[in-house]
Amino acid sequence: MALVLLPMIAQAQQFDGEFIKPRNGKFLLQNATVVTVTKGNIQNGSVLIVNGKIEAVGTNIPAGDAEVIDCTGQFIYPGLFDGGGRLGLVEVNSVPETQDFSEIGNVTPNMQALVAVNPNSEAIPVTRVSGVTTTLANPSGGIFPGTAALINLNGYTPDQMYAGFKGIILNFPTSARRSTWDRRSEEEVKKDAERAQKNLNDIWERAVKYQSMKAAKAELDYYPEMEQLAKAVTGELPLLVEVNAASDIEVAIKWIQDKGVKAILTGVAEGWRVADKIAASGLPVITGPMLSIPTRQSDRYDAAYTNPGKMAKAGVKVVIRSNDAENTRNLPFNAGFAAAYGMGKEEALKAVTINAAEVFGIADRRGSIEAGKDATLFVSSGDPFETRTQIIHVFIDGYRVPMSNRHIKLYQEFLERSPGLEK
Amino acid sequence: MNINTKIKLLGSFIVAVFFIAYSSVQAQSDPSGTKRVTSTYAIKNATITTSPGKTITGATILFKDGLIQAVGTNINLPAGTDVIDGDSLFIYPGFIDGASSAGVTRPSEPERPANFDSSNPSDELAGITPWRNVIDQVDMNNNAISDWRKAGFTVAHMIPDGGMISGKSAIVVFGSSSSTNILGQNTALSTRFRGSRGMYPGTPLGVMAKFRDVYKNTELSAKHQNIFASNVGLNRPEINKTYEAMYPVINKNIPVIFEVSNDLEIRRALRLQKELGFNLMLLGVTEVDKVISEIKAANATVLLALTLPEDKSKNKSEKLNEEAQGRTDRVKEAYETALKQAGMLEEAGIKFGFTTSGAKTGDLMKNIKIMIDNGLSEDAALAALTINNAQNLGIQKFAGTLEKGKLANMVITTAPLFTEDAQIKHVVADGYVFDYETKPKKAANGNKNGNGAAGVSGTWEYVSDTPAGSSGGMMTIDNSATGYEGTITYDDPAGNGKAQATMKNITVKDGKMSFTFDVSAGGMEISVSVNGDLTDDQFTGRMSLAEFGSFPLTATKKPNQSNL
Amino acid sequence: MKKLNYIIAAFLVMVWMPSMGQTPKGSVLIKNATVITITQGTLEDTDILVENGIIKKIGKGLTANNVTTIDAKGKYVMPGIIDAHSHVALDAVNEATAPITSEVQMADVVDPYDIGLYRALAGGVTISHAMHGSANAIGGQNITLKHRYGTFNPEDLFMKEAPRTIKFALGENPTRVHGRGKNIQPRTRMGVEAVIRNGFNEALQYKKAWETYESALKQKGATPIPPKNDARLQTLVDILDGKVIIHCHSYRADEIYALINTCRDFGITNIVFSHVNEGFKVAPELAEYTMGASVFADWWAYKFEVYYSTAYNAAILTENGVITSINSDSGELIRHLYHEAGKTQRYGQLSDEQALALITINPAKQLGIADKVGSIEEGKQGDLVIFNDHPLSVYAIPQMTFVDGVKYFDLNEDQNDMRIRVSANEMVEPIFLKEHDHNCMHGVDFFFTNFGRNLFEHSH
Repeated sequence: MALVLLPMIAQAQQFDGEFIKPRNGKFLLQNATVVTVTKGNIQNGSVLIVNGKIEAVGTNIPAGDAEVIDCTGQFIYPGLFDGGGRLGLVEVNSVPETQDFSEIGNVTPNMQALVAVNPNSEAIPVTRVSGVTTTLANPSGGIFPGTAALINLNGYTPDQMYAGFKGIILNFPTSARRSTWDRRSEEEVKKDAERAQKNLNDIWERAVKYQSMKAAKAELDYYPEMEQLAKAVTGELPLLVEVNAASDIEVAIKWIQDKGVKAILTGVAEGWRVADKIAASGLPVITGPMLSIPTRQSDRYDAAYTNPGKMAKAGVKVVIRSNDAENTRNLPFNAGFAAAYGMGKEEALKAVTINAAEVFGIADRRGSIEAGKDATLFVSSGDPFETRTQIIHVFIDGYRVPMSNRHIKLYQEFLERSPGLEK
Repeated sequence: MNINTKIKLLGSFIVAVFFIAYSSVQAQSDPSGTKRVTSTYAIKNATITTSPGKTITGATILFKDGLIQAVGTNINLPAGTDVIDGDSLFIYPGFIDGASSAGVTRPSEPERPANFDSSNPSDELAGITPWRNVIDQVDMNNNAISDWRKAGFTVAHMIPDGGMISGKSAIVVFGSSSSTNILGQNTALSTRFRGSRGMYPGTPLGVMAKFRDVYKNTELSAKHQNIFASNVGLNRPEINKTYEAMYPVINKNIPVIFEVSNDLEIRRALRLQKELGFNLMLLGVTEVDKVISEIKAANATVLLALTLPEDKSKNKSEKLNEEAQGRTDRVKEAYETALKQAGMLEEAGIKFGFTTSGAKTGDLMKNIKIMIDNGLSEDAALAALTINNAQNLGIQKFAGTLEKGKLANMVITTAPLFTEDAQIKHVVADGYVFDYETKPKKAANGNKNGNGAAGVSGTWEYVSDTPAGSSGGMMTIDNSATGYEGTITYDDPAGNGKAQATMKNITVKDGKMSFTFDVSAGGMEISVSVNGDLTDDQFTGRMSLAEFGSFPLTATKKPNQSNL
Repeated sequence: MKKLNYIIAAFLVMVWMPSMGQTPKGSVLIKNATVITITQGTLEDTDILVENGIIKKIGKGLTANNVTTIDAKGKYVMPGIIDAHSHVALDAVNEATAPITSEVQMADVVDPYDIGLYRALAGGVTISHAMHGSANAIGGQNITLKHRYGTFNPEDLFMKEAPRTIKFALGENPTRVHGRGKNIQPRTRMGVEAVIRNGFNEALQYKKAWETYESALKQKGATPIPPKNDARLQTLVDILDGKVIIHCHSYRADEIYALINTCRDFGITNIVFSHVNEGFKVAPELAEYTMGASVFADWWAYKFEVYYSTAYNAAILTENGVITSINSDSGELIRHLYHEAGKTQRYGQLSDEQALALITINPAKQLGIADKVGSIEEGKQGDLVIFNDHPLSVYAIPQMTFVDGVKYFDLNEDQNDMRIRVSANEMVEPIFLKEHDHNCMHGVDFFFTNFGRNLFEHSH
């Protein structure tokens, strides 16, 4: 049986490793459409990368001793942020030995995601060739599961990967039912929610007490959980408040305001139901995935697709997340669905770039293509939200990363297997 | 004798025998002084509804030795008749319960053998016990039976509890405790879409397939026996008690009674019936509106549930936004549709009967009145309580109406049956008269429930239906000085048989019981909380696994060994 | 008014009542669209006339009397999307209690009320293959459904023309459930292979026993005794006789290859491998000996046996001549299979035609219904989707979906709440924050068996 493979072989070769490890240096990306995000698009534009930073952005930038990469007909985008998931904290989902996202205990804010990030996870090179360069690693389980950390997808130690943001996760108590099998009576649901709310308040009260005694220079027993929560009390670290049901969102907003903490709402699956209230609170939102089913059977089929657009329209600052691990590469497609279903392409792009940088407090260094910012960006054949688009180069902190990973290597090996059917 | 005739004989009612034996009551002394003086009664000058739509005023009914002698306006009462003044009383035929679980205990599961193969369990383990007889499971002295009698029921079709094929039903009369009260045995094969715990068949998928398997192989087994009986030199048939007990079903001598919980289960039962051709009774029918024409086409007997949903849209005082209002309206509409089911069946010309299965005595008249307010005629309501079920059960020759020669089963009320003021003053069952107090406001009638201590302590067997099939184990509860203590066993998450946990926070109050226990699974510690209603030796509630969901759980207390 | 949706439902029922067993057939004329036929190229500015559920004519300037006409200028029409692996609209998925359960039938547990059906229609999916789960080496018989949402009768959803299919499963799931969970075979991939071979051999004996009986019956005066009935073995006989298509849950190349060999030994050619994450490693064999592979676009690493997989799987298989489809196995993914197909352009640069064939004609072939659906051709069934943009664009939004010429989804006309049945008992609706319905291991791991973990992760 003859295989008609000629065009594919040609394509496969584009992945062949010119280099197998990330490479630092001076690069000039030339003749591209530069999508700066914050300052419009530059046609026939160039970006000069020096020492990990964007040295210059514009037209007719002289190459000097920089390595010139021709990007004619191509586009340059800032590296995309995923607002939360487990990338780096798990290797194989069903194998407990590779799960490092959920610690035993209900109140474990002192668990540091950054410690458990595996820089050599196979999923990291699989992800970054999509243009997703920066992700938030979220611990999970319990009411305070741990402290999340923002990482760049290049580096050999967690510290090399650390992208400058941490936040303490709070799984806000819910009054929602979780499935068709949850048949608690309304009273039970209410009672359980009240109990959980009281539990949260008790913990928080202890944290406030701990912090105030500490501030008064009291000698306190070792209490690492409160030590960490105290940072949220003072505002040194924000709370990432995971909350999804509409009524819970309202309660959470009030709670955040009462306690006067710095917070970011995450999840927010039903944000569209209370978009005005979120907007009025001024709290930013990390939401996603869009590619998920509506929270209620009675909801419109596209409720999850339209959620970020509705919140953005109401004036909420929205960041998009995949909430995934190995398929964090689907983040741009989530943004694409958000764009198609009401958010618009421009706003959706912001939601995975500059909005994220702002919410994480690193907009001075990240989120757009501007001189002086980190050289974390990528070159693509077109709109990165479109599946047909190819991502051609990815730079993280000025390192040009190899456009290869296990998925691509398997493609190269097996597209035309040898021996084939017969040996 | 041909094998088929034998089967027919086995399957037929033994009613005739019962009548002959009954008429000669032996005279004897009664040192307790509680024996009635006569078995001849008359109720005089009452309004008698002999059957739905047929009412005689100023009439008298005379019955003797459990049999109606005369009904009418001009009746001679023989000497020795105990006459009850029926002025301002209303007499109706005694109610017939199309299917009842009152006083029925689920038999405990047999031990699993050491080398148990969950893919091929014995029929008994798999819940296939067609040879069982409900009479062996029912306690005729159980309070539940006297409670239903008090509510007007005089005859009931008792359904055995158990697995997918639990056994044969029986028809009993709620008469004197001195009689067996059995009107008929082996009257229907009781089935349900209930899988077995951790073995084949575990889900409705397996139950459907297994039912077909049992049915078809019963047919082949009968064929084999026939051939064997009339030929020589053949392999002997393997006598199998499952198939033997199924013969009356395949010969259409008795129907299959399928317990159904919604319209999709009704359709499943109809699907099996269409394929296999048995006679079908549907037990506990709800949501019938979507499947009426199919039921009619299949000529299936409908036993409508007496349960109704609560009106969840009521008492919503807070104002709702448009979206929430829309959803509430749909729930409201579903509620209203549920109330109309009985009326719809009547309109479709289906002679359905009621079943008390799953219902509470207190809800009986309340719910029927709601059904009447939603389209059911009073005559059809009475028929569903009486003559329709007599016909459904094949006992219309001697029950279901008030006529000469029928069983003296009747309900006597202080006002027309379905009116607000109607209270039951007497129930006559099998010729025995039971008197009840009729006060304008009845005092709290139950001190039998929830008195705790003695009631709860002991060993309970529980079952919980979950998405993974049913699961269960044992609970042992002790009443110590410091309160209740207990342990519970459950299916080990790691798949290694049973695990045990301490029951915590056991609370027994006002007929309710609740407790919690912890399960560790996959590195997680999960708190399980259980609460529900307690009546004597039955517990019906729900088991909640934090946010994982909550599942129905029922438990039955094992008889206390030391008291036997 | 929120009532419209059930008025529609009521209307459908009214139409169906007089002719029980007859599902509704519609007529529609779609004009001026870009028609992606799949099998006969893409036709610009073209009309499609559907009459009584069948595509009557494709061409320009078509007219028809008394037929709803839709102007689709600037829009794209493609065939209804077909999902070759789904668990939508099922009340139960796994009879996980025995290694072989070929007697069970998904047709027994179809739930026509599942909102998942409507959500699939809103993603352009008109046909799904409602499958047994993957707990058993040989699972139950599947049912091919046409998404005629609105009926109360499960049988109205059945695609009666579709041939019978059955679920098989290899690898981690059957070995975990039976071997490790219950201490019976299979515990290894050796055991899975043996269980399947044993099944087929027993089926041959069973077939012979009945043949002997039937032929003895024809002898004059003979009194043969009938063998026992065994629907489990009878179904395997039907597979051996070529009457049933196997759809086998599989991941690793070795287990796929082993089952190919088993099938070859028993002369079975009607086999489709599903998921088949390492199918790319045995692509030449799949091309030569099977009805192909039905894959995920990009899922991997959710369990160990999919750790060494690649998102380029569909592309490699396609280029090797394997009939390839992309399936959902998920109530979520089924809503955007067109997008999943689009991923083969990111991972392998398949052409538009190749990519769209993955969700139309190819799954139709794998379900044995390619002569009726899967492309826009005259004489085929009127299952169509209208998109506002090219369906492989991430910005494409399905506008209308037709099954048998009847419109079941309309972006602009449908209500928000499209449930057919509402429980009178519910007030606070359940909130699903994570999808955990409609997948292969549904119901198996849920309760007390690894439930914490498997509840919230992919468990296919």
